[in-house]
Amino acid sequence: MAVVVLLLVVSSMLPVSVFTWLWDRLNVFATVFLGIFVEAVPYLLLGTLASGLVEIFLDRDQMSKWVSHRPVAAAVGGAFMGMIFPVCECGVVPLTRRLFHKGMPLSAGIAFLLAAPVLNPIVVLSTAAAFGWGQMLFWRMAVSLVIAVVVGLVFSVEKDAANVLRPVMTMEHEHQHDLPKTFAEKIRAALLIAADEFFEMGRYLIIGAALAAGLQTFVAQSVLLSISSGPVLPVLVMLGLAVLLSICSTVDAFVALGFIGTFSFGSVLSFLVFGPMVDIKSIIMYSQVFRKRAVSYLVIIPFLMSLLAGILFNFVRP
Amino acid sequence: MPHRLYRSVQALLLLALCIFFAGKLSSGQLTYYINARFIPLTIFGVVLLAILAQTLFSENRRSRRQEDAGDDVHVHEHKPAAANLWFMVVPLAIGLLIPARPLDSSAFSTKGFNTTGPLVSSDSTAQLFETASEDRNVLDWIKIFNYETDVSAYIGRQASVTGFVYRDDKLAENQFYLSRFVVSCCAADGFAIAMIVESSQAQTLEQDSWVLVKGPISSIVINERNAPVIQAESIQAIPVPEQPYLFP
Repeated sequence: MAVVVLLLVVSSMLPVSVFTWLWDRLNVFATVFLGIFVEAVPYLLLGTLASGLVEIFLDRDQMSKWVSHRPVAAAVGGAFMGMIFPVCECGVVPLTRRLFHKGMPLSAGIAFLLAAPVLNPIVVLSTAAAFGWGQMLFWRMAVSLVIAVVVGLVFSVEKDAANVLRPVMTMEHEHQHDLPKTFAEKIRAALLIAADEFFEMGRYLIIGAALAAGLQTFVAQSVLLSISSGPVLPVLVMLGLAVLLSICSTVDAFVALGFIGTFSFGSVLSFLVFGPMVDIKSIIMYSQVFRKRAVSYLVIIPFLMSLLAGILFNFVRP
Repeated sequence: MPHRLYRSVQALLLLALCIFFAGKLSSGQLTYYINARFIPLTIFGVVLLAILAQTLFSENRRSRRQEDAGDDVHVHEHKPAAANLWFMVVPLAIGLLIPARPLDSSAFSTKGFNTTGPLVSSDSTAQLFETASEDRNVLDWIKIFNYETDVSAYIGRQASVTGFVYRDDKLAENQFYLSRFVVSCCAADGFAIAMIVESSQAQTLEQDSWVLVKGPISSIVINERNAPVIQAESIQAIPVPEQPYLFP
């Protein structure tokens, strides 16, 4: 009661403009937050559905038959696997976790995790729509592929997956007793897994979207965009923007197009390579699946390599 | 949380989300959040959410039937954190409690706005010049003035442009900005563009109100670049358009 009275007294002393300011901020926050959320939900649903289907229809024996256990072959294979799965960075996290659970080697899974959001057919088409079938598309795919394979190889050094992955509590407890037999039962089991995972991953999507929307509500982008000279700074700015905006990889090419006039080829390329691998919502979703150290590798190595690629291209194609 | 209760809450939340999306779709407010091109994706999401909710409901019915039949059912506590469920309430609450409003000038302070560019598009230039003068929007005019080194051919052309009003203290008394947000994907990537309108009514217009401005085009130089200006002959108040954002 006292608190309410105090609040009323304090608020009555504030000028009206403070309230309109707060109300305006709240509206911007709500629109940006719901924008990211509404856009991401269908993709998250697709990813969790794919994960449910993998869980039910793919068994561990098949997995070990398909995927090589030699690190380089596994990493390259994992990265190219990204070309078939139409998942972006929201959907790829639950799917990758499921693949690990099915016995996929670390190097292959990590390469898949980083490559799939860029190499998948939807992203290729949207990048081509924005930039044409040219250099930007080619280098985006090539640089992403290299980064994914390198990070995959780094992880192949770790022999015990338990040091990288957080323990999974929710998996497979439900149907151990009555394994689904008919096709209809299997589909239903896959849907139940998808529903569980939608809530589990949705939680981190919501936190990430709220953070990104909060930043966009209170931090002026012009602060970032005003520094765009030299070979290094603009790349850093674009990398920062990729994290800040947290745009889905399926459409980020259209956003990048808007920067082509002000930013160099290399800077925009680094945005297109790094954004799908690391942004606010994916960092938070990674932290649900991987241990802290693994998450920091997943963020830092792609960051440094994208930075390097951007700077290199700034020298070759200023 | 008991297993069946957990499933019921899940199902209800999925259903609520499904209805929320469907409601935004039918009210047309979905375009306040995402570009209209992605509406099919949301429809797909609505269908999938409904299927998932239905699966969970029927799963509960099945488990209850089995229990009634005296089968040995493993009713156990559900392991996943119940907190996962409550997070899903956040977007629903934000969507229901805060009235839907497309991005407007209150986002300028962080997102900024632009009067000249940088706007180049690989494929749409040809189409841009074919568009009839009256059908060009704010983005088209800015693109043309950005693209052409000599804009004299466009001076005096009749324009008919919609947008929201932004009155800036830096402008002259008879000027205001006619602005639109350009959104590729969702509101998160939106950026604002604006062209100057000159009119004796400038002072009477309300900030962020939507208007249709008609009049001939003239040119002004801002930061060493050509920018279009409309000499308003008429300014008509209009409701928020079906698609408040433009596509780049």
